[in-house]
Amino acid sequence: MRYTRPWQRYFKLGMTALPSARGLLPLIVLLGAWQLLQTGNSPYFPPPSDWWNGLMLLSRSGRLYPALMATTITLLLGLILAVAVGTGVGLFIGVFPRLGRAIGPLLEFLRAIPPPAIVPVAILFMGYDERMKLTVVVLAAIWPILLNTSSAAERVHPLLLDVARSFRLSAVERMRLIILPSVVPAILLGIRVALPIAIVVTLLVEILTSIEGIGALMIGAQRNFQSPQVYGLLVLIGLFGLFVNNIFAVFEAILLRRWPPKTQSENF
Amino acid sequence: MNMNKGGLIARINWPGAAVLVFVGLAWEAAVRSGLLEYEYLPAPSAIALGLSELAGEGILAPDITHTLISVVIGWTAATVLGISLGFLLGLSATARRYSLASIEVLRPMPGVAFAPVGLLLFGFSLKTEMVVTILPVLWPVLVNTMAGVIGVHQRLYDVGRTFRLGRRDTILRIILPAAMPLIIVGARIGLGLALILAVVAEMVGNPEGLGYGIVREQQALRPDLMFAYIVTVGFIGIVLNAGMLALAEALFPSFRQLQGGR
Amino acid sequence: MGSAEERSDPGEKAVSPAFECRLVTVEFLHKFSRKRIIEDVSFLVRSGEFVTIVGPSGSGKTTLLRAMGGLTPPASGSVLVHGRELNGPPDDVVIVFQDYSNALLQWRTVAANVAFGIERTLDRKEIEQRVRDTLALVGLEKNAEDYPWQLSGGMQQRVQIARALALRPAVMLMDEPFAALDAMTKASMQDELLRVRDRTGTSFVFITHDIEEAVYLGDRIVVLKGSPGRIEQMLDIGLPAPRDQLSTRQLPKFLEYRYAVHQAIGREHE
Repeated sequence: MRYTRPWQRYFKLGMTALPSARGLLPLIVLLGAWQLLQTGNSPYFPPPSDWWNGLMLLSRSGRLYPALMATTITLLLGLILAVAVGTGVGLFIGVFPRLGRAIGPLLEFLRAIPPPAIVPVAILFMGYDERMKLTVVVLAAIWPILLNTSSAAERVHPLLLDVARSFRLSAVERMRLIILPSVVPAILLGIRVALPIAIVVTLLVEILTSIEGIGALMIGAQRNFQSPQVYGLLVLIGLFGLFVNNIFAVFEAILLRRWPPKTQSENF
Repeated sequence: MNMNKGGLIARINWPGAAVLVFVGLAWEAAVRSGLLEYEYLPAPSAIALGLSELAGEGILAPDITHTLISVVIGWTAATVLGISLGFLLGLSATARRYSLASIEVLRPMPGVAFAPVGLLLFGFSLKTEMVVTILPVLWPVLVNTMAGVIGVHQRLYDVGRTFRLGRRDTILRIILPAAMPLIIVGARIGLGLALILAVVAEMVGNPEGLGYGIVREQQALRPDLMFAYIVTVGFIGIVLNAGMLALAEALFPSFRQLQGGR
Repeated sequence: MGSAEERSDPGEKAVSPAFECRLVTVEFLHKFSRKRIIEDVSFLVRSGEFVTIVGPSGSGKTTLLRAMGGLTPPASGSVLVHGRELNGPPDDVVIVFQDYSNALLQWRTVAANVAFGIERTLDRKEIEQRVRDTLALVGLEKNAEDYPWQLSGGMQQRVQIARALALRPAVMLMDEPFAALDAMTKASMQDELLRVRDRTGTSFVFITHDIEEAVYLGDRIVVLKGSPGRIEQMLDIGLPAPRDQLSTRQLPKFLEYRYAVHQAIGREHE
């Protein structure tokens, strides 16, 4: 085997999941055509080269990096908190199904509230600060994780629970050795669903309130009619989302290497 | 359908309903008695009153209409485009090879990030909402349509050939119906997404409709009206979803059965 | 008892046979190697004849059927229907597949499925009549408005057969159609198929790995064996008609045929 170091194996594992690079052609053609066709200084459709300049301007003025940091940190912290609380509550609900059934409709009702709608509520309750921003992200990201965890915990195969009983495992051991490992794929799926929601909500808060972050930069640029910056930041957000998703996909693949593969519905 | 009274009663989630009612009542009581003194937390009754106030003043209906128009236009455009492209990509492996990576790059783009772009191009108008709505709604429709077409069993192609169907007939009479369950799934996801995006666009972009209502009442420090708007949005979401399901059942009677198995 | 015939029988070509394979060879290209699946297969199917093809798995039976159905072009040799060489799926020939649930249009009713092949060629009244007649032929008149997924395996397979019969084909090619059914359903389906043949005069080419089924149903058996698959033997079945599940299977001749086919297939086949 040519790949001897673990990281090399994981890299190879990750790469096989990527689609053919030739698929980037439409994007490249689009950007290329845009660049060539926009020679005049159109305020509405500046060419991609201007976007780069706009970003450089932002970066040199020292505003890009802190904004990027702010958004990233909020996302990270928010997700960690959402995972911690969501997994905990989810496991609790899943392990006590009668409780789950009782709280069920209430949770369904809360879940039906679209995450963006939570933002104005949070602003009203908590004002315009970082704490509010973090709270909203947690509240938005928690649902997929909580629901996935609780449903998976409820669905732990009864045979496995019988195994736990026949080995006379204590409640804690049963949780640690049987339930938790069974639930890990569902938790990861929940995180994967929560990621885009968290990104959207973070950006939304920043755009609405101009609290420090990429979204704030973006709306600021729009208000100042700095269209190259707006497009540049859009690309930046796109790359950021892509990066985050792929990092997570690799992380998930590595973490789940020991689990039996599940049929994935979106795998071409 | 035979549903005896005993069966119906047994099927209702009594503990769940009880919890809902209890929470509602407790919330109401807590606010009225002054136990919960959050300045901005209205009692459920206040929210209901707020709803009737909005409806009475003739504000609610136009807002609902505006948001619905935005949703319908955006969703229709995205669905038409998504099904067409999804079909093409589903049928041609070459087309997939030369476009999937681009789709994967564009897919994670959060819809809200398009709002400043929309504002830049169109200012405060419905078109801004379109900019926010169309692209993100396109993806689930496209991806699900593509999956539906790809998933058509090889055997069905064999049947098409043994019955000597031409290309056009194969697409219309075999591939399209076979892919329908997944196409419908994609369209449904898209519809829910279109609603959320329209609301978001109205919050940060175009000051009209339900989304703007939420933000406006938040800034006006009228939490009862703000929650009234939020409840309305949720309700519309439920109605749209149910409507879509009913339409799917009407057009495609086997939909439910065929959705699960493949 | 029929002895093993020569690989081709030129003397019998007075009337153009319903179906003929002449030295059909089929190869598949896999990556960079060419794999020969069947080689030099030649036989005739006369009008109204029921020919069964038996062989161990891997002998290329399905490939032969697909070649006969025009789904796979032969690398060499030719397939002829009524004396005309095939160029793609021919008009008068229909394939019935083993996996009925994948082969039926699950989103259409039974009646709509049966109408599938004739919708574009007949007018409405004719279609309705033909669907009704064909459903009656397979005993599914009462299920016309059901959906395939509501029916049992045997019934779904009958729908597929009805769909094929609606075309009034000259030849029905069947790829292990009863393999997925339980023994009792299988038995009744076998008899039904023979009844259909008697009433319509269609020729049948029936693939199976069940030797008893091959002997029970066939007027003639073709034994395919080897890799690449070649005709090992052809047997004329001289059993009386109509066949009966109990009595026919107990006839000494039946057992002799069965033994002969077992021998022909050899020890690879249990």
